[in-house]
Amino acid sequence: MKKHNNAAKRKLPKILMSQPAKVKIRKLPTGVPGLDVIMGGGISEFSFNIIAGSPGCGKTTLAHQIVFANATAKSPALYFTVLGEPAIKMLRYQQQYSFFDESKLSKAVRFINLSDVVLEKNLDTVLEKIIREVTALNPAIVVVDSFRTVVRKAVATATELELQSFIQRLAQFLTSWQATTFLVGEYAQEEMRDNPLFTVADGLFWLSQMPERNSVVRKLQIVKLRGQESVPGLHTIRITDAGLQAFSRTLGFDRKKTIQTRRRRLSIGIPELDKMMGGGIHEGDSLLVSGPSGTGKSALATHFIAEGLRHGESGIVAIFEERPQGYAERAASFGLDLNTPQEKGKLEILYLRPLDLSVDETMQEILDVVKRIGAKRLVIDSLAGLEMALAPGFRADFRESLYRMIGALTGAGVTILSTVEVEDKFTEMSLSHYTISFLTDDIIRMRYVEIEGQLRKVMVVVKMRGGNHSKDIREYVITNKGVVIIHPRRTDYIGLTTGIPTQTGPRPAQEVEGPPEPKAKK
Amino acid sequence: MRDIAERLIAHEASENNSPQTISVVALLVDEKLRAHLATLMGNVGFRALLSRALVLTNAEVPWLRAVHVKGDGSLEGLEELSAQVDPDECFKGSIELLAQLLGLLGTLIGENLTLRLVHEIWPKLPLNDSDIGNG
Repeated sequence: MKKHNNAAKRKLPKILMSQPAKVKIRKLPTGVPGLDVIMGGGISEFSFNIIAGSPGCGKTTLAHQIVFANATAKSPALYFTVLGEPAIKMLRYQQQYSFFDESKLSKAVRFINLSDVVLEKNLDTVLEKIIREVTALNPAIVVVDSFRTVVRKAVATATELELQSFIQRLAQFLTSWQATTFLVGEYAQEEMRDNPLFTVADGLFWLSQMPERNSVVRKLQIVKLRGQESVPGLHTIRITDAGLQAFSRTLGFDRKKTIQTRRRRLSIGIPELDKMMGGGIHEGDSLLVSGPSGTGKSALATHFIAEGLRHGESGIVAIFEERPQGYAERAASFGLDLNTPQEKGKLEILYLRPLDLSVDETMQEILDVVKRIGAKRLVIDSLAGLEMALAPGFRADFRESLYRMIGALTGAGVTILSTVEVEDKFTEMSLSHYTISFLTDDIIRMRYVEIEGQLRKVMVVVKMRGGNHSKDIREYVITNKGVVIIHPRRTDYIGLTTGIPTQTGPRPAQEVEGPPEPKAKK
Repeated sequence: MRDIAERLIAHEASENNSPQTISVVALLVDEKLRAHLATLMGNVGFRALLSRALVLTNAEVPWLRAVHVKGDGSLEGLEELSAQVDPDECFKGSIELLAQLLGLLGTLIGENLTLRLVHEIWPKLPLNDSDIGNG
């Protein structure tokens, strides 16, 4: 016998090498757009999960969505309702969501009411009833909604040890019966401590809703998830006619941007500006164009997007203040056609103006379009407009949100041009009141200056990460050809950045000014 | 839902080999509905639904006022009362009560789901899309 054991031991390493050592855990889809990514692939099969949170934040809807996404006649779902929302009301309201497939009822999704058992019997009888129903149907998914009411009853009638034993036996039974379980309940964060339920759970979904001035923002946190990596933090969720939609706070991109040593230079569409930038903007860069109102930021952005389209690069313009038609009409007044690319699916002008958007939702919408049309260039016109479109709660985190957004998009290879309006002070030259300059790779500043009795416009490339650039301050005009840089740098003035320069060189002969330069259509 | 209620009563009567009075058949239908719906909504839920249906029926069928819904959702007094009522009236009353119950369910969860539930209980009862909306 001993000899046999030794032989077995000797063979063991070979067996281990030839067989996979780890169990492969299948992931079930949640049926919630965006949530599988947050969960690192989906819900672990046979896991024991809690869906917790305050009333009205979407717990039951989440449970239903998971159920309808997975239940089939062969792998049915068993939905136990207990004293929470009456089953009849649950059916009444849940069928309003598009994921609710009534053809699945009874064969694939079966509802069983446990209220009477919970009210009239003890925990053992409740467990017996669950075991009986699960054994009879052999479901792949089991939901108890609300489990909180079961626990509340138990706390009133049973000891803590009995409750712990009940939870332990329930979890063991359901896992052994190869059911993926969801216990739904209203809990407050402070109840998580020393609660046997949360100790036993493999996964803990925490839903919440937070009022911010006049807006309400719903959030989801994966507090606990055994055996798989989820995206940490609070993720925005939205409930629409389609049910829940989750927006990962990392927007699905959690890798740091890798700066390639050799990146293409993209033309802005203004040859002189390309030269000032050392040959154009690096592909995958984020360029900030700042300046006061009327200096031509949007015009410059239009050049950038139109130039991309001219080279076959699809683009997106996200606007918040102007309507798409007006934006395209103004581009047309510069001789830039944005209508044809839109018709051909090469350009999308997104008009985003609801006042309760989260950055995540906005970005998800942009990312969806990036994927759909394979966009290479993106214009955000303007950051102030984006900030205003956000729910007040997100405005406080605007810089952080912007950081994630830019990282996500440039990481996806998109070159971004954002405009930001700054107020010109005639003593200094600020870049942006958001202090977001560190988020961008490149900065162009446009401003007004007083020269020869006129309020003229100048621009300067302030920053080009990863490349040299011209330090010249150049005058430009906006004509029917868009932004046109006219003069070489002025050496006859100092203090141009203040807006009120001092003339140091000879005063040129005053020419009689002709009619005003053709003005671009607003 | 009256048409479906009539067909249900007729179907249930034909399913039973032994001749039954209408009230007994109505009770059988109610019992089958109770067993199925109580699983979904609990005895309390079904009792509330049937009680409401009974109140709605009372306006049309006054003799049903003496019928009560017990704690478990079953009907009390229907069989005894029907012996004292004209068979046609009894038939009309039973149909009305069932139609009100199905109509109430349809109002709350929709006619599609209601018909699905009926079909689960009586899979042999022919139902089709045209049944929806027949009140």
